[in-house]
Amino acid sequence: MLMTILRRLGQTLFVLTGISVLVFGVFFATPGADPTARIAGRNASPQTMAQVRHEYGFDRPLPVQYATMMKKLFVTRDLTSYVDRGEKVVPEVFKAAPVTLSLVTGAAIIWVVVSITMGTLAAALRGSWVDRGLMMLGLIGISMPVFWVGQVANLLSQSRYHDTIVFRWVPALGYVPFTESPWGWFKALVLAWITLAILFIGLYSRVLRADLIAVSGEDFMRTARAKGLSPTRVLLRHGLRTSLVTFVSLFGMDFAQLVGGGALLTEVVFGLQGVGRLTYQALTNLDLPLIMATVMYSAVFVVIANALVDMVYIVLDPRVRDGRA
Amino acid sequence: MRRRAAIFFAAMVPVCAAQAAPGGTLRLTAHAIGSTLDPHIAYLQLQLQVSATVYDGLMTYPKAAGPVTGGAIPDLADVRPVPQDGGLTYVFHLRDGVRFSNGKAVDVEDVAASFRRMFKVHGPTAGSYFGVLVGADACLKDAEHCALAGGVVADPAQHTVTFHLTRPDPDFLNQLGFAQAAIVPADTPAHDMGNEAPFGTGPYRYVRYSPNGGMTLERNPYFREWSHEAQPAAYPDRIEYRFGLDEEAEVSAVENGQYDWMGDGVPLDRLGEVGRRYTDRVTISDFPNIYYLALNVNEAPFNDVRVRQALNYAVNRHAMVIHEGGEALAQPACQMLPIGLAGFEPSCAYTVGAAPDHPAHAWKAPDLDRARALVRASGTAGQTVVIVAPAGATYLAIATELRSTLESLGYVASVRGINQAVQFTYIQNSANHVQAGLTGWIADYPAPAAFVQTLFSCASFHPRSDNSINMSGFCDPAIDALMDRAGTVSMTDMPAGLALWAQADRAIMEKAPAVPLTQIRRIDFVGPRVHNVVVSPVYQLLLSQLQVR
Repeated sequence: MLMTILRRLGQTLFVLTGISVLVFGVFFATPGADPTARIAGRNASPQTMAQVRHEYGFDRPLPVQYATMMKKLFVTRDLTSYVDRGEKVVPEVFKAAPVTLSLVTGAAIIWVVVSITMGTLAAALRGSWVDRGLMMLGLIGISMPVFWVGQVANLLSQSRYHDTIVFRWVPALGYVPFTESPWGWFKALVLAWITLAILFIGLYSRVLRADLIAVSGEDFMRTARAKGLSPTRVLLRHGLRTSLVTFVSLFGMDFAQLVGGGALLTEVVFGLQGVGRLTYQALTNLDLPLIMATVMYSAVFVVIANALVDMVYIVLDPRVRDGRA
Repeated sequence: MRRRAAIFFAAMVPVCAAQAAPGGTLRLTAHAIGSTLDPHIAYLQLQLQVSATVYDGLMTYPKAAGPVTGGAIPDLADVRPVPQDGGLTYVFHLRDGVRFSNGKAVDVEDVAASFRRMFKVHGPTAGSYFGVLVGADACLKDAEHCALAGGVVADPAQHTVTFHLTRPDPDFLNQLGFAQAAIVPADTPAHDMGNEAPFGTGPYRYVRYSPNGGMTLERNPYFREWSHEAQPAAYPDRIEYRFGLDEEAEVSAVENGQYDWMGDGVPLDRLGEVGRRYTDRVTISDFPNIYYLALNVNEAPFNDVRVRQALNYAVNRHAMVIHEGGEALAQPACQMLPIGLAGFEPSCAYTVGAAPDHPAHAWKAPDLDRARALVRASGTAGQTVVIVAPAGATYLAIATELRSTLESLGYVASVRGINQAVQFTYIQNSANHVQAGLTGWIADYPAPAAFVQTLFSCASFHPRSDNSINMSGFCDPAIDALMDRAGTVSMTDMPAGLALWAQADRAIMEKAPAVPLTQIRRIDFVGPRVHNVVVSPVYQLLLSQLQVR
């Protein structure tokens, strides 16, 4: 067990180091990316430029600069942005995290509930018009880019029909903290939740339907039916539970990458100051410290989520558990 | 669409001032301010606009609408000092009774310490504007121990601060009016304060700032109006500035009354809608700016003056105006001094029927025949030209138009779009061998030197540096001498000095180190709750003067 944890930790460190070296290298290989002039300010004198270069250590070898940046990011945690010298990037990422978590959790609840309902219903009524209709809806959901859905939602709710009774309640784009107003938080996020969930509903319901149909011919399902269990019970207790293995593994990875900043487009379109939007802003400004912090944050999440998914596997699938035992 | 918007806007009038009514909370929105709050370092436009309501310098520019013609006016100083010792000494007497937002009275030591602090925090203008102070050289070498010994002398008994210069600087008083010469308490830490703002003397104080979320300003309880022109009392009790929306969302939010004003410009595709539906909520105003194509005089083919002149003749400036939203929102630019700036004299050397020795009054049409003849004479046709432009829709459209013009002259032209965050510094570095860079210039302060001398003097060219604002790499000792003379004469005889600046402007355009394209106008779109829109050419919309219904 200890070895497994150590191995996992070693893998994590290796992945994080690789990603950080890559981000750092690509940044300094980009023509014109030297941040000295931007930090020193417009029309700064050569002497001021030299002082800023020295103060930030840009006159030192790249490996030393890399090591300093990593120390400031992970040890002293006082790494500051290149765009705003006073902005410490680590607190900035942690300040943005609750926004992303609110967005992704809400969307996840919607997509899990709706896709399980849709997938199960479609599998139970396989071949019927309900099945075909639901799967077609799912396909439409997958096909619509999230930024387009978001912009259309905004166009309708904020612009064209904002003054109608249907959308009058929609507040200005942006985030309202739950602690400030739970109702305001809900109103500010509900359209973003739906927008983000649409793609995943389509994807997950189709995956679940396919899995449910695949397991319906398995021996254990036949046995359950032979025992005289009702079709609903067979589908939900035996079929659905087994089919959820793929569902959970997908969910773990998707949820993690969204919490890590993957909901970037939704956050940008809805003006939510989450980790994704922070990443977008950092990339727009070519702000290396902020890029590094958000990428590392995202990478850590994905690695941790991977480990968590492995553990949930064990609970859900007896074969995995027995195999390990 | 753009033409319709242009016609519509042309018919509009500014929002009228209404009865004064202090109070309320002003709600503003912008994509981001992306800057430190430290007034000695911040240099981005949106931040400077807010900063103008929080800080004061010894000098400032009138916080009112209309062009600035008389230079900087006294702010914390009670009168504009007369230069002494042939322009080497300036003595400022401080106003009485002005307090910082922490209640402390402003004294002469705060002034001296503020100037030392500019060097200690490596402020952008410490060297370029105040490097002329006695003792500045030592400060630029060793900022930590900066004393400005003999450069800034505080006299508490007389309540005066004396500045000693190493050489006369005609723009010294103007530069003192720039936002980075703000006066802060002497005990302000000598490092970038970042999200924690130093105390200021203006009508507001910062109470909260999150670069990714927003900022809140409240009234400075110690503020009493001392000069309506320099720092007028504010109307709103509180300003809530939220960040995070893009321009499209900002327009919708202001239309809906969810916010009172958007900090970013109205995107071109929404101009028609805004102009048609919200005429009375839009204000269009002039301000000194120039959008231009910097031609690198040290790179072929633009190392040949005939090629630079040819491109100036060939560019269709009317098309450029259309790209900027139409005639109501932009006007063709023929010279590097913007319209409305002191020293501006209409002179268009490169249009049909004109030449540098007999310029027209205004741009009429491109002269392609003349341009082609010049290119033929230069023997450079067929060479490759790359235009480096910021990767924004309008910039790329303009760059593409310029590429077509170059192709019509016989060059193999292409456009290279670069991230807007780095394009401005990238095109400044001669090591990148940029032939032509598309850019714009809004000066720190409204004076001819801040345009032509900053952009084209030999001293502004720093080879192989990302901070070489003379992007053309242009250096002409005769024109340099003319600009120096213009500055010196301006100190004693303003009209004669301004005439010399106009002469320098014409001399620069004769050498054509750049292709001036357009001068744009600012659009301010406000929500239904606010009125009394006052737009200053220096500080843009005066946030403190908006009145909330």
